[in-house]
Amino acid sequence: MNRVKESLRGLVQPLLAVFIGLLAGAVAILVVGGSVVDTYAEMWKGAFGNFYFFTNTLARSTPIILAGLGVALAFRAGFFNMGAEGQMVLGGLSAALTALYLPGPGWFVCIAAIVAGIIAGGVWSLFAGWLDARFGMNLLITTLLLNYIAIYFGGYMVSYPFKDRTGSAAMAQTPMIDQSVWLPKLFQGMGLHAGFIIAIVAAILIYWFTHKTVTGYEIRMLGSNPSFATYGGVRRIRMMMLSMIISGGLAGLAGAGEVLGTQYRFLDGSLSSASYAWSGIMATLLARSHPLGTAVAAILLAALQTGAMGMERNTDVPLEVGSVIQAVLTLFVSAQIGYSFLKRRKEKKSNATTV
Amino acid sequence: MQQLFDAAMFGSTLRIMTPILLAALGGALCSRVGLFNVGLEGLVLIGAFSAIVGNYLFGNVLLAVIFSIVIVMLFSALFAFISINLKANAIVVGISLNFLATGLTTFALRAIFDVKGAYYDKDMVGLPKWDIPLIKDIPWVGDVISGHSPLVYLGIIIVIALQFYLFKSVSGFRLRSVGENPVAAQSIGIKVRGIQYGAVLMCGVLCALAGAQLSLGQVTMFTEGMTAGRGFIALVATMLGQANPLGVMGSSVLFGFMEALSIRLQGFTLPTHFTMMLPYIVTLVAMFFFKDRTYAQDALKAGGSSR
Repeated sequence: MNRVKESLRGLVQPLLAVFIGLLAGAVAILVVGGSVVDTYAEMWKGAFGNFYFFTNTLARSTPIILAGLGVALAFRAGFFNMGAEGQMVLGGLSAALTALYLPGPGWFVCIAAIVAGIIAGGVWSLFAGWLDARFGMNLLITTLLLNYIAIYFGGYMVSYPFKDRTGSAAMAQTPMIDQSVWLPKLFQGMGLHAGFIIAIVAAILIYWFTHKTVTGYEIRMLGSNPSFATYGGVRRIRMMMLSMIISGGLAGLAGAGEVLGTQYRFLDGSLSSASYAWSGIMATLLARSHPLGTAVAAILLAALQTGAMGMERNTDVPLEVGSVIQAVLTLFVSAQIGYSFLKRRKEKKSNATTV
Repeated sequence: MQQLFDAAMFGSTLRIMTPILLAALGGALCSRVGLFNVGLEGLVLIGAFSAIVGNYLFGNVLLAVIFSIVIVMLFSALFAFISINLKANAIVVGISLNFLATGLTTFALRAIFDVKGAYYDKDMVGLPKWDIPLIKDIPWVGDVISGHSPLVYLGIIIVIALQFYLFKSVSGFRLRSVGENPVAAQSIGIKVRGIQYGAVLMCGVLCALAGAQLSLGQVTMFTEGMTAGRGFIALVATMLGQANPLGVMGSSVLFGFMEALSIRLQGFTLPTHFTMMLPYIVTLVAMFFFKDRTYAQDALKAGGSSR
């Protein structure tokens, strides 16, 4: 009974946050002189209007789910992994290069490319974790810095050594990956590819891992009460390394999925400019690091983004209304976390502002 | 080498350094009161945008800067309210604030100016460039130091003032005590919340100035996401300088120099990717050498960052 109550209470806050976000969006729409009802109707149509748009939304949510899951796991362990973007870029780059230069049957190369992407992302993330564990360099900052390094490195690789020189020479991109290596499409003529299934499976696996296994429990314990966890014999450094490598690996997988399923090549800036990684972080914040919740939140954010695109095609309201709604949503959820703290504080009647 | 390290490059170091320095000083104030402000990037972006809007509305640079300060203070008050009163995790609030800033500025750019990507008006006057009398006539030094916007000089003055305030004044001592141990500070009658609010609002003022220098300092324009990670670099400068104004100044000079150098190196045959990567690599290396074991750790524990 308690569990049901708990999960219902968990639902109230995100729903309330969505409501507030839409309210903020309505204000923004009114400011530019649009009709709220029409605009939201167009937005809905753009995201879910027909089967094509719906699969489009799911396709866009795929990298967001994966990157978000990675961040969620690190959050659960108490670490701020802000480096999903860089991990994604390196994952995508490694996947593209593996797919291009590894000989073998298509399915084998595809799997190898995915694995390469996971490894590249994981190692890049592990590096940041190692710098923190070994040298006490703040993880939040190092992961942020490593983003820029990874993005410029990826840009260099496809501008010079691995540049596609066959077609339009202006684009910094690798050559097209052979069709036999592509991730299969789920429906004929639609953008949705097998990566979405991988993402959903990953969400379920991460849920199972964090909620049903001992290691997962230890990771969660480390995040919610580090001193208790250490007292209880959780090996902090080991758990940190583990959560960082999984976290980065998932981001790398997100990059690999985009390369193998959508773009079929590594194109400079395409992974970072769509800000999948930051949307993933937002999804995690919305779902408070719950793996399945993160997947749902990622689909919601993707719907907002594709919906905003559809809305811009058919109304005069700028597409950025979508990002305003997203941001207010996240901000409001963080305030909600505070609300429960507030209640707890009232009970204790303490007044000190220990943040 | 001769053409690489000329006076113009040191001049541009000063210019590039200023937004980072101003934002980092704001970050230093926040972390001194135990609130690790990840939202610097967003605050500077809002500052840059509202400075342009102010300039557009009033046609006066001074009023534009004041307008920008007011707007950014509103947003920093939001940060303070959610993280102090609602006790949300300051880092999460900071991240959300960055999202909000990116979304709102691009939206407002469309809503106010009806343009996408960038707003530029050739009739708009930016910040003036001050020639310092006497100094401007000294051969090399004059080229480096003279001819910058007032905010460049203001930044350096603020460093000295802040250093004095934090370490020589009673009020500065109180402020530091809030960050060191809020409970103890509370117990001797220091108004912890009031001081935290004050520090965050001052951070807003500094971020507004940083933004104004970005958008009104060199070219009078705003482009989407024009902070391009400078707020995060400022965050690193704060940590590297151990929230110590002079230390923050030192690390900001380092970043300004690295960026100026990387711009200059683009004229050579090096691939630009590596020169642009350089500031971030140097930052990592600098973090490795200048990490602080005592103060930053405490501040981070309080902020709930990586443990």
